Amino acid sequence: MKNASKNKTISITYRLTLFYMLSAFGILAAITGYLYFALMRNLDGEDNQFLVEKIHDLRTILKEHPDNMQLLQEEVNEGEDSPFVNYVRILDEKGATVLEFSKKENTQLAALFPEPVEIDEDPVRGWKKSTPDGRLYLLMSAWAKIGGAPAEKRLLQAALDISREQEILNEYKNKVLGMLVLGVLFSAAAGFFIARKGMQPLQDITGVIRKIRSTKLHERVNPSLWPRELTELAFSFDQLLDHLQNSFSRLSQFSSNLAHELRNPINTLMGEAEVVLSKPRTHQEYQSHIELNLEEYEKLANIIKSLLFLAKAESTDIILERTVFDVSAEIHAMLEYYDALIEQQHIAISVQGAASLNADLSLFRRVISNILSNSIRYTPSGGKIDISIWQDADHVVSVQIRDTGIGIEASAIEKVFDRFYRSDKAKTASGQGTGLGLAIAKSIMDLHGGSIQIQSPPGHGTIVTLTFPLPVSCF
Amino acid sequence: MLLSCRISTIFLCVGLSIMRILIIEDSIRTADYLKKGLTENGFVVDAMHRGNDGLHCALTINYDLIVLDVMLPELDGWSILSELRRKGQQTPVLFLTACDKVQDRVRGLTLGADDYLIKPFAFSELLARIYAILKRGQVTQTGKIKIADLEIDAASHKVMRGDTLIDLTPKEFVLLNYLAQSPGQVLSRSTIAEHVWDINFESDRNIVDVAILRLRAKVDDPFSIKLIHTVRGAGYVFEERE
Repeated sequence: MKNASKNKTISITYRLTLFYMLSAFGILAAITGYLYFALMRNLDGEDNQFLVEKIHDLRTILKEHPDNMQLLQEEVNEGEDSPFVNYVRILDEKGATVLEFSKKENTQLAALFPEPVEIDEDPVRGWKKSTPDGRLYLLMSAWAKIGGAPAEKRLLQAALDISREQEILNEYKNKVLGMLVLGVLFSAAAGFFIARKGMQPLQDITGVIRKIRSTKLHERVNPSLWPRELTELAFSFDQLLDHLQNSFSRLSQFSSNLAHELRNPINTLMGEAEVVLSKPRTHQEYQSHIELNLEEYEKLANIIKSLLFLAKAESTDIILERTVFDVSAEIHAMLEYYDALIEQQHIAISVQGAASLNADLSLFRRVISNILSNSIRYTPSGGKIDISIWQDADHVVSVQIRDTGIGIEASAIEKVFDRFYRSDKAKTASGQGTGLGLAIAKSIMDLHGGSIQIQSPPGHGTIVTLTFPLPVSCF
Repeated sequence: MLLSCRISTIFLCVGLSIMRILIIEDSIRTADYLKKGLTENGFVVDAMHRGNDGLHCALTINYDLIVLDVMLPELDGWSILSELRRKGQQTPVLFLTACDKVQDRVRGLTLGADDYLIKPFAFSELLARIYAILKRGQVTQTGKIKIADLEIDAASHKVMRGDTLIDLTPKEFVLLNYLAQSPGQVLSRSTIAEHVWDINFESDRNIVDVAILRLRAKVDDPFSIKLIHTVRGAGYVFEERE
């Protein structure tokens, strides 16, 4: 199962690492990309601006001082001292070179110039072209007027060698890409490390939990020792352990009680059978023996039936068959059953109050019967049993059975709901009873979402209060 | 298997009023005591221990009732019941089961079982259920019950012994009437509690004893012929004894 779940889900560490890596890649790519394009635009703009100004200056000279060849020559040759302009040429209408400036011999360049911009237009952007020898140029060409006469015009051509800039850009691009890859790898490594470190408490808590065995249920994870994210888990786990430990100790207590409870009658049955068979007996003796056995068997069968009921109630295999009934009428019907016994023991019974209740009638009768039979059993002759029924504003129905019986010792009161538990006082007072009646009553109240409370003020008998809340949903 | 089927077929021809019961129960010891007990109560009983044999017998012979265990080798009780009903056999079926789960009970009843008993059960309880199933559908008596010099008038709630009118409380009357309706049949305390007071769970066994004691004081004690008898360990029986 562990493997199956591993196959289905990626480990949290890997997942976190992947997220770190993706986010680092995104951020780095955005930043480096922006820087690269900003640089490119900047360089590009400066180059264009330079050529545009050069064309503009040449046009101005040709227009305003068409005969001043000295000025024109100066302007054309300006590039001699500057590192920028590599090539300037002025052609006449027929294509013959009027003036030319070139930093080095570059005849290949002349063929690359684009269509010239018209006289009344301003050039904006140049063309990027590579010469066969592998250098990159920004080229611009435009027509220019001479003086005021419209008949004559010149063709202006200017070029800038931008190979070096391109190299710088390319170099920058390579560096940036390298940084990107490195950054992503670094962030992946860091992410993995951080995730591992972050997940460490989880591994630690797993280690602690793994050490807890059924024999060491007293151990606890202790929420206060863990980071805030894990306190809830630790708390829930401790709660689970509390329940488990409780159930375990109850279970072992129950098993030993059960063994004890069964050992006695079976021991008697075995011994009696042996004694009876050891000698020939009269017909009557055999018959009486079998009859006595039958009574023991019936007790055992009743214990088993009660235990089965409890097991069913616990596994919530019981489906409540809720009906609405009159509590007072049902209690009177139950009292009819106990009538003979009550009269025989001279116990006075009173029932006060009324309410209607939505509950499983047969289970309700069982609770009442179990409590009544306890009250009758442990109330001496001449005693009193008062039953009161009431319903409060929240529609919670309560039934209280108060007797003047022998009561329950304070030390025993919290154990009375345990299976087979019978207080010493109860054992002395009556040989009857299996010790399952109140356990069954409690399980029935639990099934209804209600509660059963037992109080026994010294010298004042026992008070049992049943509380039935309004059903959450009617089945 | 076939032999026992034939034996009951002979009975079928001989006595028409004899009720035939088939027990399908894998525990041989349980089947034996059930067969013994039921035979002694006047039934003709066949016992089968395996599912297939049981189904075969149930389909071949016309029984009045089948006592069917749920857990069986080869074919379980559920399958036998559904197979019977599928083939149109409407013989009443009483389930015996060791597992008391609501689903099981619902399943048995939806499959068409007539009743169920959860182990451990008292034999008298089984007998009472069998009588109840066999009587079902018959007209219940509304007239008078007469046993020895006792006369119970169900309509007027009057009980007479000879010429003496016996004054009973309503519950005492119901108790007496219930006992008298099944004369000669042992009724366990739990059966009595269930029928008279509607108590269908384990409760103090001595309550029924006290009630019977009080009834006896009115119905039996003043008269020479005793009618309510204690069967030690089992319960009570209502009959006239020599």
